[in-house]
Amino acid sequence: MVVVERKELTLWERLWLPEVARGLSITFRKLFQKRITRQYPEERLPTDEVTRGQPRLVVKDDGNIACVSCGLCEAACPAYAITIDGGETDRFIEREPVRFDIDMLRCILCGFCEEACPKDAIFMSDELELADYSRGALVYDMHKLKRPKAALQKRIDYVYRINDRWRKPSST
Amino acid sequence: MAVDLLIWFVKASVVYGALLGTAALMSLAERKVSAWMQYRHGPNRVGPFGLLQPLADGVKFIFKEELVPEGANRWLFRLAPALAAMPAMLTVAVIPFGTSVEIAGRTVPLSITDLDIGILYVLALSGLAVYGAILGGWASNSKYSLLGGLRASAQMISYELSLMLAILAIVLVSGSLDLRAVIEGQRGFTDWNIWKQPLAFLLFTVATFAETNRHPFDFAECEPELVGGFHTEYSSMRFALFFLGEYCAMTVMAALNATLFFGGPSVPGLPDAPWWLGVGAFGAKTAFFLFLFLWVRWTLPRFRFDQLMKLGWQVLLPLALVNLTLTGAWVAWSGGH
Repeated sequence: MVVVERKELTLWERLWLPEVARGLSITFRKLFQKRITRQYPEERLPTDEVTRGQPRLVVKDDGNIACVSCGLCEAACPAYAITIDGGETDRFIEREPVRFDIDMLRCILCGFCEEACPKDAIFMSDELELADYSRGALVYDMHKLKRPKAALQKRIDYVYRINDRWRKPSST
Repeated sequence: MAVDLLIWFVKASVVYGALLGTAALMSLAERKVSAWMQYRHGPNRVGPFGLLQPLADGVKFIFKEELVPEGANRWLFRLAPALAAMPAMLTVAVIPFGTSVEIAGRTVPLSITDLDIGILYVLALSGLAVYGAILGGWASNSKYSLLGGLRASAQMISYELSLMLAILAIVLVSGSLDLRAVIEGQRGFTDWNIWKQPLAFLLFTVATFAETNRHPFDFAECEPELVGGFHTEYSSMRFALFFLGEYCAMTVMAALNATLFFGGPSVPGLPDAPWWLGVGAFGAKTAFFLFLFLWVRWTLPRFRFDQLMKLGWQVLLPLALVNLTLTGAWVAWSGGH
């Protein structure tokens, strides 16, 4: 059992109004304090290279995506969010996706597709916002997923760096 | 005659526009001040600095569904919000917001009407304000509303006594029930009633908080105990009317405080200030007391109900009586005011 000793109020405190005035002076000072709320759409949290946002397809410098529609990411995806239909191309790689959809409502941002990809074609971007008026609009097709390489460079460098911890440079 | 009517109409429009505008701005200021005191920004998306927020709220309230609870007294339920909003809007008619203006050879006193029993009129109407809360609470057929209404009535009645006794001391000092005479008696800075009646000022200010159901005396609403108090069952524009009434009552009480104790339109150091400066001074004083309502709300915790009653009957009322007696004795002894 804990005996809580209640402090007797002094006469000054029991007069009530002086203490009210003291409280008012405190809150008045707080009126002019710096606001700490972040104004979200304008002021964003800084993103880091470690941030796993939504997956995006890298557009190489020659304008094509690196994907060869091997289907490894599709297989690795634990949420069955990725759908790929492969097709032929005249380019050296011979195969490219004709359809590459990611259902962003299913995607759990785990990053397995990024790890599975043998062609460094898909990376986790720092884009995290997801809002639209229908579910259909949130199934992103290839066109919506494409991002220039420069936009994803930080993440690409980061992934290379941590992979190098166990992968010798010669193996790629 | 036609000109008189026109002047009267213009004055009424201006005063009611100002009153409702202030009430709307107060709903924004309440959130802004609370936000600033808690390091937040407050509403700032609708218009510059969120100034259009009250408009957005109004539109939202109009489009909300209106519910009447089962078993409610439908007629009284619909009447109550109007009763809550009306007294404050009527009271504002006698408050002088300036000295007087010369227009087209006429001297136009700056108040909707100058009743020679203005103070009595104010007290009578502010006594009616309790009906909105108690009828709203009773007609809702809900236990929380009923308790809120009961508390509102108990509290308003006990604090109205101190409020009236505090005002009576002012009446004794200025020797008139006419608010115009009260401000005429405090033209100079040193004539302000706050210097003559500091205790009455304190009593009046504390009582206005209870009278308008504001923190720390807002037992009629008391969210943690009574959900929303007397307006628990209200929705849509009727709910908004309760709030409009509360903000109007606050504005009127702040204006009364400025009029009774701070000389209304009297400008310190300028006894013969032009009328527009007087109106500005009146506005500034009212604005300060409106800010005080918000300031206190976001500083103090709510009382317990027994503390509220104890403060009202055992502290404020005896003090008000002593103050009134001493003032009366002093006025009698000094042979007039």
